[in-house]
Amino acid sequence: MIDPGKGHFQAVVSRRESLSPSCVLLSIERPRDFPEARPGHFVSIRVAHSIEPLLRRPYSIMDLTGSELVLLVKVIGKGSALLAGREPGDELDIIGPLGGTVFPEPEGGEAVMVAGGTGLAPVLFAARAWRNANLHLVYGASCAEEILESIVREGFASTHFATLDGSLGYHGDAVSLCAELVNGGKVGGSYLYSCGPKGMVSALEAGLGKRFTEHYTSLETIMACGVGACRGCTVPTRGEKSPAYRSICADGTVFRAREIAWEDWNDR
Amino acid sequence: MSGNIAIELGPARFRNPVFLASGPAGYGTEYEELIDLERIGGVVTKTITLEPRAGNPGRRLWETQGGLLNSVGLENVGAERFFKDKLPALEDKGIGVIVSLAAEGWDDYEGLLGAADDSSAAAVEINLSCPNVERGGMAVGTDPELVARYVELARKRLPDRAIIAKLTPNVTDIVSLARSAEKAGADAVTAINTVLGMDLEGEDSRPVFRRVSAGLSGPAILPVALDAVWRITRSVDLPVFGVGGISSVDDAIKFFAAGAFAIQIGTAVFYDHTLPERIVEAFEQRGLPARN
Repeated sequence: MIDPGKGHFQAVVSRRESLSPSCVLLSIERPRDFPEARPGHFVSIRVAHSIEPLLRRPYSIMDLTGSELVLLVKVIGKGSALLAGREPGDELDIIGPLGGTVFPEPEGGEAVMVAGGTGLAPVLFAARAWRNANLHLVYGASCAEEILESIVREGFASTHFATLDGSLGYHGDAVSLCAELVNGGKVGGSYLYSCGPKGMVSALEAGLGKRFTEHYTSLETIMACGVGACRGCTVPTRGEKSPAYRSICADGTVFRAREIAWEDWNDR
Repeated sequence: MSGNIAIELGPARFRNPVFLASGPAGYGTEYEELIDLERIGGVVTKTITLEPRAGNPGRRLWETQGGLLNSVGLENVGAERFFKDKLPALEDKGIGVIVSLAAEGWDDYEGLLGAADDSSAAAVEINLSCPNVERGGMAVGTDPELVARYVELARKRLPDRAIIAKLTPNVTDIVSLARSAEKAGADAVTAINTVLGMDLEGEDSRPVFRRVSAGLSGPAILPVALDAVWRITRSVDLPVFGVGGISSVDDAIKFFAAGAFAIQIGTAVFYDHTLPERIVEAFEQRGLPARN
């Protein structure tokens, strides 16, 4: 467990940049005393000071510098729309950094990172943190407009894009592209890292997990407490006792993909 | 008016009448860095059963307008680990604790009370009202006679601890449950547990939870809880822990005005964890709110 120590902060939005029809980059002035964080850590934000929406919303940390905390916000509902609409100067109520596990650095220095949609956030944080690593990014989105090319900065040995409609890069999903690249010997490494929709990560593990020494994935879901108390954000894991549920907020967000009982992880 | 707002219940003494409710508060320690647990009355710990429970499969949380549906299903570490690790972690720090217990059947209940008897717990809350499990919980707590039987056995096995019965609102008359608890020797009742609810999603309008019904908490249920506290305190001569939807200092004051002896904060800690301490602060400055 890597617990950086968490706190409650009022922080000011410093920059808001619209990246795509659905995604906004929010830069927030790093509050004094905001602890150090690592790739896989997240913050929990109260998006409105009312009871609608009620719960805080969890966001992966995309970057944390001495002066800025950066988040990637995709508008998918009321809460994210409110957050994405925040302007420079607005104050945000933040708890963080949260999460008990983070992406470990790759052995041997070379690795493949697969991101789907806003799953890009912790992957970018890792690329920034591991400057000496040789990282290959495979990144998928619905269409060219949703590929956030402008924030995929230098830091990768190679970048590969997939779009479902074929409007940019590979025509298909990120998992299929990754399989082609790995099988063709174009990307490789000791570790595989991923963050994205559940379907993407489970397919990635099923298809390519065994090709790497480790496959680490940062999971996301609806959360309530964010600190491991309420047991609301659990994921079924493989173990001696079945089912064994672990909380994504405190036992994660990063898990070994082979530890997750993907076939049992359903909404209903 | 200001100063001492400590409360006593049987052998148990607490700094003040503001508690974290069972469930959201986990085992208390999860919130240590965010809430000063020594400032509040205490923590009603996550309900434990005799054996560990994995909890429910599938989705467990679903936000509604002003509320939260949950189907956690009493995931817990079991009595042995709780009394060995979790309870001492709180008590060693001087944090007030009420231990929440739920039976999964009569035999198992005996074992659970035995474990509580061997522990240092000064106060226990018998959860007779969880809507998210098959056995025990609400299945027991909707029947006044069963409520009496369960409270009686707790009274017998734990003669020198404070016994609190946590009641379900999912009945025609919650007052009759409180009367049963009183007759059976409870020291207090807690009102209310979550209200049964459900939601549908998708184009084919399917239930969001595998078990269909779940427990609704949060601001949406405050009027239900307040009404229960008001009616119980006018019919039964027992202290009442009021819980359900408290989201502000004003909400807390309402519960005392309705007759509550103490309050518990649940869902609000998820989005406003500073609330319990703010309520304590307000009460320390102004004294406990007067009963209507």
